[in-house]
Amino acid sequence: MEIREIKALLALMQEYGLTELELEDKRRGRLKLVRALAASAAIPDSGIAARAQLGGQPARHLAARVSKSGGAAAAPAISENQRLVTSPMVGTFYRASAPDASPYVEEGSSVRKGQTLCIIEAMKMMNEIEAKMAGHIVRILCENAQAVEYGQPLMVIQVG
Amino acid sequence: MFKKLLVANRGTVAIRIIRACHELGLKTIAVYSTADKDSLHVRMADEAVCIGPAAAEHSYLNIPAIISTALTYGADAVHPGYGFLSENGDFAEACHRSGVAFVGPRARHIRLMGDKPRARRIMKRAGVPILPGSEGTGVTELREAQADAKRLGYPVLIKAAAGGGGKGMRVARDAVELARLFPLARAESEAAFGARTMYLEKYLESARHVEFQIIADNQRKLTHLGERDCSIQRRHQKVLEEAPCPVMTKRLRDKMGKAAVRAAQVVGYSNLGTVEFLLVPDGQFYFIEMNTRIQVEHGVTEMVTSIDLVKESIRLASGETLGSKHRQIEIDGAAIECRVYAEDPNTHLPSPGIVTNHHPPGGLGVRVETALYDGYRVPVHYDPLIAKVIAHGEDRSEAILRAKAALREYLIDGIKTNIPLHLQILDDPDFVAGRFGTDFLGRFEPRLEIVAERRAKAS
Repeated sequence: MEIREIKALLALMQEYGLTELELEDKRRGRLKLVRALAASAAIPDSGIAARAQLGGQPARHLAARVSKSGGAAAAPAISENQRLVTSPMVGTFYRASAPDASPYVEEGSSVRKGQTLCIIEAMKMMNEIEAKMAGHIVRILCENAQAVEYGQPLMVIQVG
Repeated sequence: MFKKLLVANRGTVAIRIIRACHELGLKTIAVYSTADKDSLHVRMADEAVCIGPAAAEHSYLNIPAIISTALTYGADAVHPGYGFLSENGDFAEACHRSGVAFVGPRARHIRLMGDKPRARRIMKRAGVPILPGSEGTGVTELREAQADAKRLGYPVLIKAAAGGGGKGMRVARDAVELARLFPLARAESEAAFGARTMYLEKYLESARHVEFQIIADNQRKLTHLGERDCSIQRRHQKVLEEAPCPVMTKRLRDKMGKAAVRAAQVVGYSNLGTVEFLLVPDGQFYFIEMNTRIQVEHGVTEMVTSIDLVKESIRLASGETLGSKHRQIEIDGAAIECRVYAEDPNTHLPSPGIVTNHHPPGGLGVRVETALYDGYRVPVHYDPLIAKVIAHGEDRSEAILRAKAALREYLIDGIKTNIPLHLQILDDPDFVAGRFGTDFLGRFEPRLEIVAERRAKAS
């Protein structure tokens, strides 16, 4: 199969919005074209990844395995006027300033901009995490004294 | 022995360390940046913790984030791998102060060997031959460099006192070049290491880069595990390495090995290290520096000695001592490592992107260390080293044939790699005959361009 024929097929796929096209021909063998959808915005060229195959599907077990850790991947779904509070560092999440103190916030608490929401302890340093906007706490996503990583969602704030 | 080890690195070396831990029965924690969340090391480790954004200074070079991860997630040891924080004395000290074992030498040895003029002074006192060069603590001004160059005679090599990785390094062939390149090299050193101190060494045109693997326990017992020849370099960066050195004799190995052992012994070194020498055709050799970590090219030594260096580094850090297997090594055959970079083989420009198809080679005597998989995106933020292909043979010619067969078999679609460059090196008559020095690739590359031109014309 020549490049110009493949190009013509790719154009057809785009025209009809196809994501996959497979052709088999006794004389010329098999050709499979796959359009990368989710990643297409990030691919600098046409957004179409073409792969000509001789045999079966290559093993994809590693690529298909989902990341086991939390982090950005585990972000809960939030609505338009809600915001996530994420951890700016690796450390331990605390809801109060001391074991016997009452928590900074509860689910349902109103918060003003700059108010302390929780503490992340990293290397014996207590880092206060402040609200970036006024609103109220919809959900608290972590348990007290839980280990958290960089970018891990801690709370959901309803703006306003 | 430790229970849980934090791997403070990414890519090929993180995979290498995780495998060693699994064999030793240790749990592993991978750390990663947001750009690496789909990386293989994240998937292979028992736990994975995101420590910061893509920029290395905020993630893989972020000492508080890594120490905090070790403490929060309960690691009792940290392995730094190579690059990133592996030769950072402050990191080793921070681990120690936090009660986490650092797999490597003591902080003071990292700092000592990282100060190149100081290392030269110590070696000179210990009777280890050094190259003629700047005396004392180094130079910061052009006029001092000019005075040194006049005394040494051109060509000279300008180096950063805090150097490493070819940064702040330039060859000056006359006074005009020195005046032009010295400020440039100094600016590069300031940007990379935050230090203006430089030093000069006599530049030897066609010397070989021969380095000795040192292994030492915490009881000051140490030995060497033979040498590697890393003369195939581009801009002072290694491209292809082999063990043993093709021109090595038993007598020379004994002599150089003794000097390497003395270099490490005189400072009371522990764990793994590499003493680098330049070797000239008449058999004279000169200390250039000591690297205080596992090297990228450690695999060739492993293949010819059957000693797992990464496992040894962890055992030694836990307090185990050297035994007879380390002292009575035999060099078995020959091994060659080709560093596969995500780069254009002609322009050497980085080629990041999605690997649409990945099929590594295999077979007897072929070892591939890589973090690639089908669909993996090679990020733009880090080193372009994506795979190491190591071929081991009964002798050097078999190792060369195996390396060629393996590289031809290696399928990496979607990005460009330097595999074509490796195939040209392995086919070169001078390389096959073992006749080369550190200037080999410099002389060799114009020929590559001619070949490419001929091909373009023919098609």
